[in-house]
Amino acid sequence: MTSKEIFAKLHEVAFNPKQQLNQYLADGKKVVLVTYYTPNEIIHSMGLVPMGVWGADIQLNQSKKYFPAFICSIMQSILELGINGTYKGASALVVPSLCDSLKCIGQNWKYAVKDIPFIPMSYPQNRKPDYGKRFTKAGYERVISDLEAITGAHFSDDNLRVSNHIYNEHNAVMREFAEVASEYEVSAQERSDVFKSAWFMLPEEHTTLVKELIERLKEGPKDSRKVRVLVSGILADAPQLLELFEKYGIKVAFDDVCDESRQYKKDVPETIQNPMDGLVEKFCSMDDDTLLYDADKKRVDYIVTEAQKHHAEGVIVLMTKFCDPEEFDYVPIKRACEKAGLHQVNIEVDRQMVNYEQAATQLEAFSELF
Amino acid sequence: MAEEVKKQRPAPDPNSAKMRLRKIAADAYSDAVEAKKRGELVGWCSSNFPVEIPETLGLTVCYPENQAAGIAARGGGERMCSEAESEGYSNDICAYARISLAYMKLKSAPEQDMPLPDYVLCANNICNCMIKWYENIAKELNIPMIMIDIPFNPDYEVSEAEIDYIEAQMWDAIHQLEKITGHKWSDEKFRQVQQISGRASKAWLDATATARYVPSPFNGFDLLNHMAVMVTARGKEEAAEAMDKLNSEYEENHLNGTSTFHAEEKYRIMFEGIACWPWLRVTSTGLKGRGINMVTTIYADAFGFIYKDFRDMCRAYAEVPNCMNIEHARDKRVRLCKDNHVEGLLVHTNRSCKLWSGFMPEMSRQIGKECNIPVVSFDGDQADPRNFSEAQYDTRVQGLMEIMDTNKEAK
Repeated sequence: MTSKEIFAKLHEVAFNPKQQLNQYLADGKKVVLVTYYTPNEIIHSMGLVPMGVWGADIQLNQSKKYFPAFICSIMQSILELGINGTYKGASALVVPSLCDSLKCIGQNWKYAVKDIPFIPMSYPQNRKPDYGKRFTKAGYERVISDLEAITGAHFSDDNLRVSNHIYNEHNAVMREFAEVASEYEVSAQERSDVFKSAWFMLPEEHTTLVKELIERLKEGPKDSRKVRVLVSGILADAPQLLELFEKYGIKVAFDDVCDESRQYKKDVPETIQNPMDGLVEKFCSMDDDTLLYDADKKRVDYIVTEAQKHHAEGVIVLMTKFCDPEEFDYVPIKRACEKAGLHQVNIEVDRQMVNYEQAATQLEAFSELF
Repeated sequence: MAEEVKKQRPAPDPNSAKMRLRKIAADAYSDAVEAKKRGELVGWCSSNFPVEIPETLGLTVCYPENQAAGIAARGGGERMCSEAESEGYSNDICAYARISLAYMKLKSAPEQDMPLPDYVLCANNICNCMIKWYENIAKELNIPMIMIDIPFNPDYEVSEAEIDYIEAQMWDAIHQLEKITGHKWSDEKFRQVQQISGRASKAWLDATATARYVPSPFNGFDLLNHMAVMVTARGKEEAAEAMDKLNSEYEENHLNGTSTFHAEEKYRIMFEGIACWPWLRVTSTGLKGRGINMVTTIYADAFGFIYKDFRDMCRAYAEVPNCMNIEHARDKRVRLCKDNHVEGLLVHTNRSCKLWSGFMPEMSRQIGKECNIPVVSFDGDQADPRNFSEAQYDTRVQGLMEIMDTNKEAK
């Protein structure tokens, strides 16, 4: 396939998760809905299909019965989609309690979406010491036990070892894609589609397509745009917003976006004999994320370093409205960018955003700084 | 035109519980200022951090949440929030955090000063927002952050795995603090602190439980003030004594047919959420003017830290409000409503607190159904005065009163 054909296929998947869900169900598979840092390797190893839920750009109606208006629209729209039956057929929803809004969605979900059971995943914030690792393992064991009870699927170490390897391979391919997309001609929408589609496909299927895409891209022209940026935020998938990147000649040189590169930074160390211990190690070694305790604010240095490494002269913070962890991090990020001589801009985004005029004005002015 | 005659109020009795509690709260700030002057290290501490740790180690700590509430109640909320916003902090962020971050920059506030910290003690059993807030303080002031992660418990009971995790962190925190401050942990001192904290907690629970009497011997708004001492000083002897005194005063009020609710108690409600500190008088008067007494809040239950040993203390800190699942949180409130003959629930949808408000609509529906009482909510904020509408509050309280009236007539 040509790169355009692969992009078109991934775009189709990224924009039609419901079709993917129905196809997996029609194939006799059971689907488990997953969010930020769920143990997808475990779900996959049990023969289940993990599918990402990140909400949608939809009108909120019934979710307002459960959430006040000042909870982020990702949580609100996930709940709305649960209530309106979009996820019908899924076996369960796994949610970690890594922010206050994530804590709340599970509690509401139990009463709002009774046909899809909620499985909590409690992660430790103090994840480096051994006691944090033991608590992570206890959390994973609870997820396994709930999944077995709900789906009838069985867990085995041997299968987890295989899934860990599949996910590691996918991680490596996604990391390579991010580098190739930084160097070669890839639009903001195409880049987003590659990351987005990963949430709605089995990793082995996605790896095959992205590997081929990388080869095709390397045969194409290098990107010559002057305005190179690192994009940071929870999501960067709104088509109207991504269009503005193209309009103002902004190249995404790298990202620190939660549903994009943040997911692929760490692998399961396969040298650890017990695959569960390896998976625990993967989470506990994670850093540089707004949702993970970080007293030294290493995430801020990470953003500056990655921007410089990818020859980005600016950082665009796409601030999901009402996401207070990200809002707290913005001030140190802003200061660090200023200190490092990087341009930065903070653009508020929302799942219910219909008017992009303010974002357009901000991006146009920002692009003129380069 | 008759000249207005102001009622002469008797001078407050310095031995009353109210004055003793007020003094303990005020002394916490002046003691911290003095300690800093002496060259001692001073910590900032989150409200549900296990107070037993600094108390046993003999450390001086201040409570930014209490300071923020004080600043907001004295009219400085908007000024301080705006200051933080001018630094780039979103106005969506918790107003306590914004006030605290502004204070860190300004280093002074006429409404309530307290010394800047040499370290911060953070527990996230109140919310994860606390982690981010303290991270920013620790980073900006380049001071150590001691973090005890007490995860939100999705189950009704606290698991052994969670208690193991918390207990290990508690010891880690103690050892970090020993290194930072040079103070040493003593098991014997801990047992004393545990005993005092248990005594203060029991007295607090007993005092708040006098709301079972009809009429209630106290105005529930008292609890919002007195709880500051339970947050910060429940490990101190004088706090336990003041709480004993509070309990005996409420019992006396009941026997004498008096109350600190200085109006006829026509209706009894539970108030849900943190107080709207900038609008305390308005929210209080809106109830009192209608003969509505807020007889209970979850705070009545929240500070009952009674446990048998160190490990059991770890469980207790995982069972605070905002750390428990909807069913457990609901049942605690249902019990308070039933024990205290509550006729209506007034919910503060607090713009500053995502966790407290994030599943409150469903929980309050369930409480209303279980207790067969009306539920009304209003929009407000614990410290940013811009997020409250007096007119909306008035309309909602009036609506609640009318439903309670109809219910009374139907009985």
